[in-house]
Amino acid sequence: MRASETLRHLIGPIELIHEHAGPRLLRLARLGIFALWIIKLLLDPLWRLAELPREMRHPIGILNLLPAGAQDWLFTSTGLIALLASTLLVLALGLTDRAFAIVATIAAVQLTVYSSVIRTFGPAVHTDIVLLLAVYALTGFAWADWIALKFGDKKSLQASSSYPLITIIAMLLLSYCMVGINRTVAGGINVFTGDSMEAWCIDASMRGYYFNTNIGWHIPEWPWVVFMLRSGLPVITVFEILAPLCLAAPHFRWIFMPVMLSFHLLSLVFMNIFFFDDILLYLLLIDWSRRFPALRAATIYSASPAPTPCASVSSTSVLASEPTNRRSF
Amino acid sequence: MTAPARKPLRLHPALSAAIIALCLAAIVYMVSFAIPLKLAGQAYLIVIILLAFRYWPPMIRMVKSMSVPHRIVFGVLIGSMIMGHYTLNGRTYFPFVTWEIFPFVHENNPVTCREFIATTEDGAKVRLLVEQLFPSVVQIDPADAFDNPRWYPPGTTEKVARVLAKAYNEQHPGNPVWRVDLMELAVQLHPPAGESRPLPSCELLKRYDISSGQ
Repeated sequence: MRASETLRHLIGPIELIHEHAGPRLLRLARLGIFALWIIKLLLDPLWRLAELPREMRHPIGILNLLPAGAQDWLFTSTGLIALLASTLLVLALGLTDRAFAIVATIAAVQLTVYSSVIRTFGPAVHTDIVLLLAVYALTGFAWADWIALKFGDKKSLQASSSYPLITIIAMLLLSYCMVGINRTVAGGINVFTGDSMEAWCIDASMRGYYFNTNIGWHIPEWPWVVFMLRSGLPVITVFEILAPLCLAAPHFRWIFMPVMLSFHLLSLVFMNIFFFDDILLYLLLIDWSRRFPALRAATIYSASPAPTPCASVSSTSVLASEPTNRRSF
Repeated sequence: MTAPARKPLRLHPALSAAIIALCLAAIVYMVSFAIPLKLAGQAYLIVIILLAFRYWPPMIRMVKSMSVPHRIVFGVLIGSMIMGHYTLNGRTYFPFVTWEIFPFVHENNPVTCREFIATTEDGAKVRLLVEQLFPSVVQIDPADAFDNPRWYPPGTTEKVARVLAKAYNEQHPGNPVWRVDLMELAVQLHPPAGESRPLPSCELLKRYDISSGQ
């Protein structure tokens, strides 16, 4: 049927992102994530937090496990410089890929402490949380690889490059999805129909953060911006809820990315809020291994017949030699 | 000639799943008038989405191909994110936090905000923002929270004003701040048509003399 075919054409193929990712792509992703953390830390004068009054501190997460004396030392210039320097050192070691599981574990702990420290003076904001969870994923799967190798389960190792990448993307998309669901269910229809979005923009704009465009509080003077915000919020919320579809639908990914990028840029302009970590993680929303054969795994776990002559593994095996291009439900 | 038989309309499963999820969202909203129901509603939608992937062959293939440790890592990370969301506690289990952004109606009109506005030696006015003077801090609590005894001890506002002035003066030794005003800024959500202001309306709440403290 023509309408159905058009619809299918629009929806496009349904395939799991990074299903064919090989070790090179995983290595690039590790480098990118660790390098991004290094850049963030290099730009951060963390030691200056020691000047802020003690009364402003409300420790979060892992910091609550530290005794009061250790917390006080951590928030001295010396403690903060030690945290910054040691974290940078561990992250730099992570770039070398030597003893990655151990180095990444230490990096994950250090970054958790760092991320908790910078949130001690305010709310537990969401920026760079997925980037931290990405380090957890790289660490966890590095240990899983080691255990699989140690105890002889080499079957899964051959496809293991794809697991952390899929997990990172799943966590990024799940974060969007939960934000959208929370707003829809907890906020209710009034969030979308009233003037809440303008109020949030004005509030954020007046408060000013690191980026300070000083534009957002003018919004009530611009009816077309009010219209854009009011009509945009439900659209963005739908995209947030549907974000997990990006795992499966390449066509949806190519709509999702520009829509959410424009949302993040408008958040910067009108609210002084910028999630640049999430935006950089969007690079993982591109299925590089399908475009560049050098980034593919030599073998994947698919049971589908291989399209290329190099397929030599039995089709009954869990492992196949080459990726198929398109899969359906 | 006979007309070709019409094939039954078959929606793509992804589209079907999206339509079902949206319909469920609408139903869940209609019954979500209490916190337990709001939580249940969210959990219900998350379960629907997880189930969609649970029965999706490529996902099944991936999970089946994983060794037990790989499955544990995958499950723990995704599970922790979801559990963290339902703790309704953004701080204790960080980084497994509650994912809520603009989750409720902002009812204040005019929208108000407290700010530290400093006067420098040459008479210029500058905003003192914690996030700019201490870039490590992603976001602080609103300045009016510093006067809330539930969260901060008395005198915190003044301490913050003095710390901000000190940090500014270290960066601008040639033109230091000598006074900091705690102002309340207000912006009307529905201003008269055609009105345009260069600045929000301001009201002075407190004044701190910084020069005497140096």
